[in-house]
Amino acid sequence: MTFNKRSLITVGILSIITASIYYFFTQKGIIYIWHWEKIPEMLFYYGSKSADDPTPKFRMGVLMMGFVLTLKISVFSIFFGIIIGTVVGIARLSHEPVTRGLSLSYVELIRNTPLLVQIYIIYFFVGSILRLSAFAAGTAALSIFAGAYVGEIVRAGIQSIHKGQMEASRSLGMSYGRAMRHIILPQAFKRIIPPLAGQFISLIKDSSLVSVIALADLMFQAQQAFARTYYAFEIYFTVALLYLVMTFTLSMATQYIERRLAISD
Amino acid sequence: MIEARNVYKTFRTPDRKEVKALVNFSTHVNKAEVVVIIGPSGSGKSTFLRCLNRLDEIDSGEIIIDGVNIYDKKININKIREEIGMVFQLFNLFPHKTVLENVTLAQQVVRKRNKGEAFEVARGLLHKVGISEKENVYPSQLSGGQQQRVAIARALAMHPKIMMFDEATSALDPEMIGEVLDVMKTLAREGMTMVVVTHEMGFAREVSDRVIFMDAGQIVEEGTAEHFFTNPVHKRTKLFLSQIL
Repeated sequence: MTFNKRSLITVGILSIITASIYYFFTQKGIIYIWHWEKIPEMLFYYGSKSADDPTPKFRMGVLMMGFVLTLKISVFSIFFGIIIGTVVGIARLSHEPVTRGLSLSYVELIRNTPLLVQIYIIYFFVGSILRLSAFAAGTAALSIFAGAYVGEIVRAGIQSIHKGQMEASRSLGMSYGRAMRHIILPQAFKRIIPPLAGQFISLIKDSSLVSVIALADLMFQAQQAFARTYYAFEIYFTVALLYLVMTFTLSMATQYIERRLAISD
Repeated sequence: MIEARNVYKTFRTPDRKEVKALVNFSTHVNKAEVVVIIGPSGSGKSTFLRCLNRLDEIDSGEIIIDGVNIYDKKININKIREEIGMVFQLFNLFPHKTVLENVTLAQQVVRKRNKGEAFEVARGLLHKVGISEKENVYPSQLSGGQQQRVAIARALAMHPKIMMFDEATSALDPEMIGEVLDVMKTLAREGMTMVVVTHEMGFAREVSDRVIFMDAGQIVEEGTAEHFFTNPVHKRTKLFLSQIL
């Protein structure tokens, strides 16, 4: 089965489920006047914004602006999460007890406290000391959070590579670092793509928590729009769909990468 | 070329038992000499090889290679390892790299050769071990014998002064052992200094300058292949030979 066929079937199944829920809803006879017509302008609209910016043109609506911010914060956090996670994963396997201890403490501290609390601490405490913007604080919190999980995934990936690979590299005169970079990590990353994908899909969804520090992400914009209009169903269905677009794209992309890397198997 | 003096090495098993792998072990290997080490499993043969490039560390004693004490704290072990090629029982080729990349990688990142030079060396060696036509395939697409020949080419590409073989044919199907032994025999004839741990008595008899028989971390008997196979002195050696020949 080809790549496109498979994604088409997945999209098809998801649409059927959505349609069934919708049908069930309407048959139950809940009295609700749908206002789907208000949703498009929350995505895109044509017109002027304010007195300062009066030229009429195509503009992003509030939900689309939130979507873009969520996308941005997710991309940044995934990027830094990979970097932190790789360093931590290697540090967890260090021969230095101090390095090992520090990395383990980091992982345990972050994994065993709620992300919401971490976001508040980084925004209010670290953020005020270092004068971080809400965006920087939110990205930092999510990166640090993801880094702990990615670190454990990377560690498991490295440990899953046969020790003969390190021995062969070292016997050729490569340093530990070179062997890691050229031999161990490339093989480990190939192996950990599925759990990493799961982790990053979670991260995209968890990013909705940054709305609590007044970052105008998708969730925040949705709450604002809801408070203004009370179109709860329409707005949150749309928001769910927008999150799904991001996570599903990531899911498809990783499956594609996995297949690409399978050529040497 | 290689000098081992009073080497001790003890392993601790997961259940905290101590296993003495090398006990007051001393030997030497001259330049261009082919030394074959045989003995029952667990006798310390592989451990000795692995201590020669510090994949395992000795507890006490000293090992001197090319005039350098390789357990000296001041030496850079990576420099020593560049000069000692090692071939493993399970090949340990890099599965995510093609045959050619396997043979060129260390040349480029360790020996700092440029791409053209590394490719030239690699192609020459792949031709020598008889797998030129497979240079762009991945190791998983090769037979065991072919993989081991690539592994030999990979080690030779560093232009080492010494080659070590750690049961290089033990994991191979019988019909592939010959092709790997042929490559090893060619090397021996070309004057490569070789330390070979093997169960292939034919190889030992044909190309070795000296045979070392080990048991329980010590040398039981040592001598030319002819002496060893026709005139063994020790009872333990006779027993071992009677069981395998």
